[in-house]
Amino acid sequence: MKKLVKRLIRALLRVLLTPWRSRYRKRNGIVSNQLRHELPNDAWLGEVSKMLDEGKPYAIYVKGYSMRPFIEHTRDRVFLEKRDTYDVGDAVLAQIAPGHYVLHRIIKRQGDNLTLQGDGNVRGVETCMMQDVSGVVTQYIRPNRIIPADDPKLIRRIRLWRKLRPIRRYLLFIYKAIV
Amino acid sequence: MRIKKGFELREVCGEHIIVAYGRENIDFNKVISLNESANYLWKNIADKDFTAETLADLLCQEYEVDAETAAKDAKSLLDEWVKVGLVEV
Repeated sequence: MKKLVKRLIRALLRVLLTPWRSRYRKRNGIVSNQLRHELPNDAWLGEVSKMLDEGKPYAIYVKGYSMRPFIEHTRDRVFLEKRDTYDVGDAVLAQIAPGHYVLHRIIKRQGDNLTLQGDGNVRGVETCMMQDVSGVVTQYIRPNRIIPADDPKLIRRIRLWRKLRPIRRYLLFIYKAIV
Repeated sequence: MRIKKGFELREVCGEHIIVAYGRENIDFNKVISLNESANYLWKNIADKDFTAETLADLLCQEYEVDAETAAKDAKSLLDEWVKVGLVEV
Protein backbone atom coordinates (compact mmCIF):
# COMPACT_ATOMS: atom_id res chain seq x y z
CA MET A 1 0.00 0.00 0.00
CA LYS A 2 2.78 2.40 1.00
CA LYS A 3 4.60 1.61 -2.26
CA LEU A 4 1.50 2.36 -4.26
CA VAL A 5 1.01 5.69 -2.52
CA LYS A 6 4.63 6.60 -3.23
CA ARG A 7 4.20 5.68 -6.89
CA LEU A 8 1.08 7.80 -7.18
CA ILE A 9 2.69 10.80 -5.55
CA ARG A 10 5.71 10.43 -7.80
CA ALA A 11 3.53 10.23 -10.91
CA LEU A 12 1.61 13.30 -9.79
CA LEU A 13 4.84 15.19 -9.17
CA ARG A 14 6.10 14.20 -12.63
CA VAL A 15 3.02 15.69 -14.22
CA LEU A 16 3.18 18.86 -12.16
CA LEU A 17 6.90 19.31 -12.74
CA THR A 18 6.79 18.66 -16.52
CA PRO A 19 8.03 22.12 -17.59
CA TRP A 20 11.03 21.79 -15.27
CA ARG A 21 11.63 18.19 -16.39
CA SER A 22 11.85 19.10 -20.05
CA ARG A 23 14.04 22.09 -19.28
CA TYR A 24 16.32 19.91 -17.13
CA ARG A 25 16.59 17.24 -19.78
CA LYS A 26 17.34 19.77 -22.54
CA ARG A 27 19.96 21.53 -20.42
CA ASN A 28 21.72 18.29 -19.55
CA GLY A 29 21.54 16.69 -22.98
CA ILE A 30 19.77 13.56 -21.80
CA VAL A 31 19.31 10.89 -24.43
CA SER A 32 17.77 7.49 -23.93
CA ASN A 33 20.18 5.07 -22.31
CA GLN A 34 22.53 3.54 -24.84
CA LEU A 35 23.32 -0.13 -24.72
CA ARG A 36 26.72 -0.46 -23.19
CA HIS A 37 29.14 -3.27 -22.48
CA GLU A 38 30.01 -3.19 -18.80
CA LEU A 39 32.85 -4.72 -16.86
CA PRO A 40 32.30 -5.99 -13.31
CA ASN A 41 32.31 -2.90 -11.15
CA ASP A 42 34.94 -3.82 -8.58
CA ALA A 43 37.34 -5.30 -11.13
CA TRP A 44 37.06 -2.16 -13.24
CA LEU A 45 37.43 0.26 -10.32
CA GLY A 46 40.36 -1.80 -9.08
CA GLU A 47 42.05 -1.23 -12.43
CA VAL A 48 41.20 2.48 -12.36
CA SER A 49 42.69 2.61 -8.88
CA LYS A 50 45.91 1.09 -10.23
CA MET A 51 46.03 3.68 -12.99
CA LEU A 52 45.64 6.52 -10.50
CA ASP A 53 48.46 5.05 -8.41
CA GLU A 54 50.61 5.05 -11.55
CA GLY A 55 50.01 8.77 -11.86
CA LYS A 56 47.55 8.47 -14.74
CA PRO A 57 44.45 10.57 -14.06
CA TYR A 58 41.38 9.07 -15.68
CA ALA A 59 37.71 9.81 -16.27
CA ILE A 60 35.10 7.17 -15.47
CA TYR A 61 31.38 6.81 -15.96
CA VAL A 62 29.52 6.60 -12.68
CA LYS A 63 27.15 3.75 -11.98
CA GLY A 64 24.50 3.95 -9.30
CA TYR A 65 22.40 6.59 -7.67
CA SER A 66 24.38 7.12 -4.49
CA MET A 67 25.84 10.44 -5.59
CA ARG A 68 22.65 12.12 -6.64
CA PRO A 69 22.01 14.93 -7.37
CA PHE A 70 25.57 15.93 -8.26
CA ILE A 71 26.55 12.85 -10.21
CA GLU A 72 23.91 10.93 -12.12
CA HIS A 73 23.86 7.23 -12.98
CA THR A 74 25.58 6.49 -16.33
CA ARG A 75 24.94 10.04 -17.52
CA ASP A 76 27.89 11.71 -15.87
CA ARG A 77 31.57 11.04 -15.81
CA VAL A 78 34.12 12.18 -13.27
CA PHE A 79 37.79 12.95 -13.78
CA LEU A 80 39.83 11.37 -11.02
CA GLU A 81 43.29 12.39 -9.88
CA LYS A 82 45.53 11.14 -7.13
CA ARG A 83 46.49 13.54 -4.36
CA ASP A 84 48.71 13.33 -1.30
CA THR A 85 45.88 14.10 1.04
CA TYR A 86 42.09 14.40 0.92
CA ASP A 87 39.68 16.47 2.95
CA VAL A 88 36.03 16.94 3.89
CA GLY A 89 33.96 17.78 0.82
CA ASP A 90 36.09 15.80 -1.62
CA ALA A 91 34.30 13.19 -3.71
CA VAL A 92 36.73 10.29 -3.68
CA LEU A 93 37.17 6.79 -5.03
CA ALA A 94 38.00 4.65 -2.02
CA GLN A 95 38.36 0.98 -1.17
CA ILE A 96 36.11 0.46 1.84
CA ALA A 97 36.57 -3.29 1.98
CA PRO A 98 39.01 -5.64 0.17
CA GLY A 99 38.12 -5.39 -3.51
CA HIS A 100 35.09 -3.21 -2.85
CA TYR A 101 35.16 0.39 -4.10
CA VAL A 102 32.82 3.34 -3.74
CA LEU A 103 32.78 6.85 -5.12
CA HIS A 104 31.43 8.90 -2.20
CA ARG A 105 32.06 12.21 -0.45
CA ILE A 106 34.19 12.67 2.66
CA ILE A 107 31.91 14.04 5.36
CA LYS A 108 34.21 13.69 8.34
CA ARG A 109 37.92 13.44 8.89
CA GLN A 110 39.84 12.63 12.06
CA GLY A 111 43.51 12.43 11.18
CA ASP A 112 43.72 9.59 8.69
CA ASN A 113 40.29 8.20 9.54
CA LEU A 114 37.71 9.18 6.97
CA THR A 115 33.93 8.89 7.02
CA LEU A 116 32.27 8.78 3.61
CA GLN A 117 28.69 9.20 2.50
CA GLY A 118 27.08 9.24 -0.90
CA ASP A 119 25.30 12.50 -1.71
CA GLY A 120 22.26 10.42 -2.60
CA ASN A 121 22.34 8.32 0.55
CA VAL A 122 20.24 9.28 3.51
CA ARG A 123 21.66 7.20 6.34
CA GLY A 124 24.43 4.82 5.25
CA VAL A 125 28.04 5.87 5.78
CA GLU A 126 31.34 4.14 5.18
CA THR A 127 34.69 4.47 6.91
CA CYS A 128 38.17 4.03 5.57
CA MET A 129 41.71 5.27 6.01
CA MET A 130 43.42 7.96 3.96
CA GLN A 131 45.60 5.35 2.24
CA ASP A 132 42.49 3.48 1.00
CA VAL A 133 41.58 6.46 -1.17
CA SER A 134 42.72 6.10 -4.79
CA GLY A 135 41.84 9.54 -6.08
CA VAL A 136 39.59 12.58 -5.90
CA VAL A 137 37.07 13.98 -8.39
CA THR A 138 38.52 17.12 -9.94
CA GLN A 139 36.06 17.54 -12.81
CA TYR A 140 32.37 16.72 -13.05
CA ILE A 141 31.72 15.81 -16.68
CA ARG A 142 28.09 16.27 -17.67
CA PRO A 143 26.84 15.64 -21.23
CA ASN A 144 26.88 19.36 -22.06
CA ARG A 145 29.54 20.85 -19.84
CA ILE A 146 32.48 20.15 -17.57
CA ILE A 147 32.40 21.62 -14.06
CA PRO A 148 35.64 21.82 -12.08
CA ALA A 149 35.39 20.53 -8.52
CA ASP A 150 36.66 23.85 -7.15
CA ASP A 151 33.88 25.83 -8.82
CA PRO A 152 32.57 28.14 -6.04
CA LYS A 153 28.91 27.73 -7.04
CA LEU A 154 29.20 23.96 -6.95
CA ILE A 155 30.95 24.04 -3.58
CA ARG A 156 28.20 26.24 -2.16
CA ARG A 157 25.57 23.82 -3.45
CA ILE A 158 27.38 20.82 -1.99
CA ARG A 159 27.63 22.57 1.39
CA LEU A 160 23.93 23.46 1.27
CA TRP A 161 23.06 19.89 0.36
CA ARG A 162 24.99 18.69 3.38
CA LYS A 163 23.13 21.13 5.66
CA LEU A 164 19.81 19.88 4.28
CA ARG A 165 20.61 16.32 5.29
CA PRO A 166 17.65 16.14 7.71
CA ILE A 167 15.23 16.53 4.79
CA ARG A 168 17.40 14.88 2.16
CA ARG A 169 15.05 11.94 1.61
CA TYR A 170 12.19 14.28 0.65
CA LEU A 171 14.40 16.36 -1.63
CA LEU A 172 15.61 13.18 -3.35
CA PHE A 173 12.03 12.06 -3.76
CA ILE A 174 11.25 15.26 -5.62
CA TYR A 175 14.50 15.06 -7.57
CA LYS A 176 13.65 11.56 -8.80
CA ALA A 177 10.36 12.90 -10.09
CA ILE A 178 12.19 15.47 -12.20
CA VAL A 179 15.01 13.31 -13.60
CA MET B 1 51.48 6.96 -37.60
CA ARG B 2 51.62 6.55 -33.85
CA ILE B 3 49.26 5.64 -31.06
CA LYS B 4 48.13 8.88 -29.41
CA LYS B 5 49.61 9.85 -26.09
CA GLY B 6 47.64 8.58 -23.12
CA PHE B 7 46.18 5.55 -24.89
CA GLU B 8 47.16 2.36 -23.17
CA LEU B 9 46.42 -1.34 -23.27
CA ARG B 10 45.26 -2.86 -19.99
CA GLU B 11 43.94 -6.25 -19.00
CA VAL B 12 40.77 -6.41 -16.97
CA CYS B 13 38.87 -9.63 -16.29
CA GLY B 14 40.66 -11.37 -19.12
CA GLU B 15 39.71 -8.67 -21.62
CA HIS B 16 42.26 -6.57 -23.47
CA ILE B 17 41.03 -3.02 -23.33
CA ILE B 18 42.31 0.36 -24.45
CA VAL B 19 41.85 3.28 -22.08
CA ALA B 20 42.67 6.93 -22.64
CA TYR B 21 44.05 8.63 -19.54
CA GLY B 22 45.20 12.16 -18.88
CA ARG B 23 43.55 15.54 -19.04
CA GLU B 24 44.13 15.85 -22.79
CA ASN B 25 41.89 12.81 -23.31
CA ILE B 26 39.12 13.89 -20.95
CA ASP B 27 36.60 13.95 -23.80
CA PHE B 28 37.38 10.41 -24.89
CA ASN B 29 34.56 8.53 -23.22
CA LYS B 30 35.04 5.12 -24.79
CA VAL B 31 36.75 1.96 -23.69
CA ILE B 32 37.89 -0.16 -26.63
CA SER B 33 37.95 -3.92 -26.38
CA LEU B 34 40.54 -5.65 -28.58
CA ASN B 35 40.30 -9.16 -29.95
CA GLU B 36 43.25 -11.55 -29.95
CA SER B 37 44.88 -10.36 -33.18
CA ALA B 38 44.32 -6.66 -32.54
CA ASN B 39 45.85 -7.17 -29.11
CA TYR B 40 48.91 -8.82 -30.68
CA LEU B 41 49.31 -5.93 -33.14
CA TRP B 42 48.91 -3.26 -30.49
CA LYS B 43 51.53 -4.83 -28.24
CA ASN B 44 54.03 -4.76 -31.12
CA ILE B 45 53.49 -1.19 -32.25
CA ALA B 46 52.67 0.49 -28.93
CA ASP B 47 55.61 2.88 -28.71
CA LYS B 48 56.64 2.94 -32.33
CA ASP B 49 55.82 4.60 -35.59
CA PHE B 50 53.97 2.28 -37.94
CA THR B 51 52.02 2.05 -41.17
CA ALA B 52 49.42 -0.31 -42.56
CA GLU B 53 52.32 -2.27 -44.05
CA THR B 54 53.88 -2.72 -40.63
CA LEU B 55 50.64 -4.20 -39.35
CA ALA B 56 50.27 -6.46 -42.40
CA ASP B 57 53.81 -7.76 -41.91
CA LEU B 58 53.13 -8.50 -38.26
CA LEU B 59 50.00 -10.42 -39.20
CA CYS B 60 51.90 -12.51 -41.74
CA GLN B 61 54.56 -13.30 -39.14
CA GLU B 62 52.12 -14.52 -36.53
CA TYR B 63 49.23 -16.00 -38.48
CA GLU B 64 48.89 -18.29 -41.46
CA VAL B 65 47.52 -15.73 -43.86
CA ASP B 66 48.47 -14.59 -47.34
CA ALA B 67 49.91 -11.16 -47.91
CA GLU B 68 46.87 -9.80 -49.70
CA THR B 69 44.39 -10.71 -46.97
CA ALA B 70 46.76 -9.45 -44.31
CA ALA B 71 47.13 -6.13 -46.12
CA LYS B 72 43.36 -5.78 -46.46
CA ASP B 73 42.70 -6.63 -42.81
CA ALA B 74 45.50 -4.38 -41.61
CA LYS B 75 44.19 -1.43 -43.58
CA SER B 76 40.66 -2.05 -42.35
CA LEU B 77 41.80 -2.20 -38.73
CA LEU B 78 43.95 0.89 -39.08
CA ASP B 79 41.04 2.79 -40.62
CA GLU B 80 38.93 1.77 -37.63
CA TRP B 81 41.60 2.97 -35.18
CA VAL B 82 41.89 6.29 -36.98
CA LYS B 83 38.11 6.69 -37.02
CA VAL B 84 37.80 6.03 -33.28
CA GLY B 85 40.67 8.43 -32.60
CA LEU B 86 43.38 6.15 -31.26
CA VAL B 87 45.99 7.07 -33.82
CA GLU B 88 47.69 10.27 -34.88
CA VAL B 89 49.56 10.81 -38.12
